[in-house]
Amino acid sequence: MDYVFRIVPQMLDGCLVSFQVFLITIVLSIPLGVLLSLGRVSGSQLLQKIIGFYVWIMRGTPLMLQIFFVYFVLPSVGIRLPDFESALVAFVLNYAAYFCEIFRSGIQAIPKGQYEAAHTLGMNYLQTMRRIILPQVIRIILPPISNETITLVKDTSLVYVLAMNDLMRTARNLVQRDFNITPFIVAAVFYLIATLILTVLFEHLEKHFSRYEQ
Amino acid sequence: MNKIKAQNIWKKFNKLEVLKGIDLEVNEGEVVAVIGPSGGGKSTLLRCLNKLETVDRGTVVIDGEELCHETSVGTEYVNKNDIRRIACKMGMVFQQFNLFPHMTVLENLIEAPVNVQKRDKAEVIKEAEILLSKVGLSDKRDEYPRKLSGGQQQRVAIARALAMKPAIMLFDEPTSSLDPELTGEVLKTMRELAEEKMTMVVVTHEMGFAKEVATKVVFMADGRVQEQGTPAEIFDSPKNERLKAFLNVILK
Repeated sequence: MDYVFRIVPQMLDGCLVSFQVFLITIVLSIPLGVLLSLGRVSGSQLLQKIIGFYVWIMRGTPLMLQIFFVYFVLPSVGIRLPDFESALVAFVLNYAAYFCEIFRSGIQAIPKGQYEAAHTLGMNYLQTMRRIILPQVIRIILPPISNETITLVKDTSLVYVLAMNDLMRTARNLVQRDFNITPFIVAAVFYLIATLILTVLFEHLEKHFSRYEQ
Repeated sequence: MNKIKAQNIWKKFNKLEVLKGIDLEVNEGEVVAVIGPSGGGKSTLLRCLNKLETVDRGTVVIDGEELCHETSVGTEYVNKNDIRRIACKMGMVFQQFNLFPHMTVLENLIEAPVNVQKRDKAEVIKEAEILLSKVGLSDKRDEYPRKLSGGQQQRVAIARALAMKPAIMLFDEPTSSLDPELTGEVLKTMRELAEEKMTMVVVTHEMGFAKEVATKVVFMADGRVQEQGTPAEIFDSPKNERLKAFLNVILK
């Protein structure tokens, strides 16, 4: 137990790095995903194809490969980013693709009659989306968003490939230093706590956004 | 004065000609019932009036304002903002109600008057409450649509359309998805509206309504207006063969 208390401060530092990656990715990739999905359901064939291609690339290659790409390949075309930012760019671009598909499916699940009613009430595109469509979409997409968010908690451990001291890498360093696997167990507990918090949070959100269905 | 004037309306879905040169005139205070077999283009015609469907050819004039006019190559619409403005001169009631499920009854009513017409919210709420009592649903003010029966939902939909103070009301088979025992309450609301001299176009299979409430009946089949006239002319002395056959089947 003593040992646990000794390593916890170090591991909390690792948690902070992981949490930063998590939070910044969520905050940036969700709005980007919304924009991409609006393009994906827009009338423009060209836009649909371009975004479809983007989603294919992002979902079709490993996130780790994308992190390497941003870190090692972009400098050769003159874009050089620090470690942390490199990882974030890859995370945001990758997760935006997944969120785009979630939002697209949500938007397409709204019956055509909702758009027609909005049209006959004189609403423009923005009013229709903001007031009528998106509030209903949120209700539909919360479960898959919750899924994706929990996946992200664990995906943050991928930043170790850029030698960043996140929770996972900190744990591994401690295990190698002390020949003791306890840090792995502590790391697991931290990940589980994060997931538990998200699970409870999303349950509340789901309840809130589905109140009109009860 | 003409509230609606549609001339030579043509509309094709892929290769299927749905409307083949329709003319329709609706005067102020008239209640026009559009009847005819399914697939005859009734709903499509209605949806062309507020540009839920785009016409391929023809002219549509609503309340003295041109929505689109026929050109040598088909038709030309006015700009987007004018389309929106003209379209919401007509309240529309759908077969599937299309209430906004995430809003309460009152929120459904006030949404567009407040956010589109930018009217004073307190004023709009007051009027919405009067409309709700008119359709007999004051007690459902704060319920979500899901909690209401089909007939109640449709009456809310009528009230929502009326909250925009439309010049014309369009009804697209308003009772077709209702259980028989619920159609009465919706028809009663529509009848009251007709008595207040609201200009109405009603696509319907309710022959009783067409007979008793309509001032003009339009019979459509195969994308054409086959015959039109007063309810007495249409139901008691039909001339068109298709109309006679239709009435034979429907009135047995």
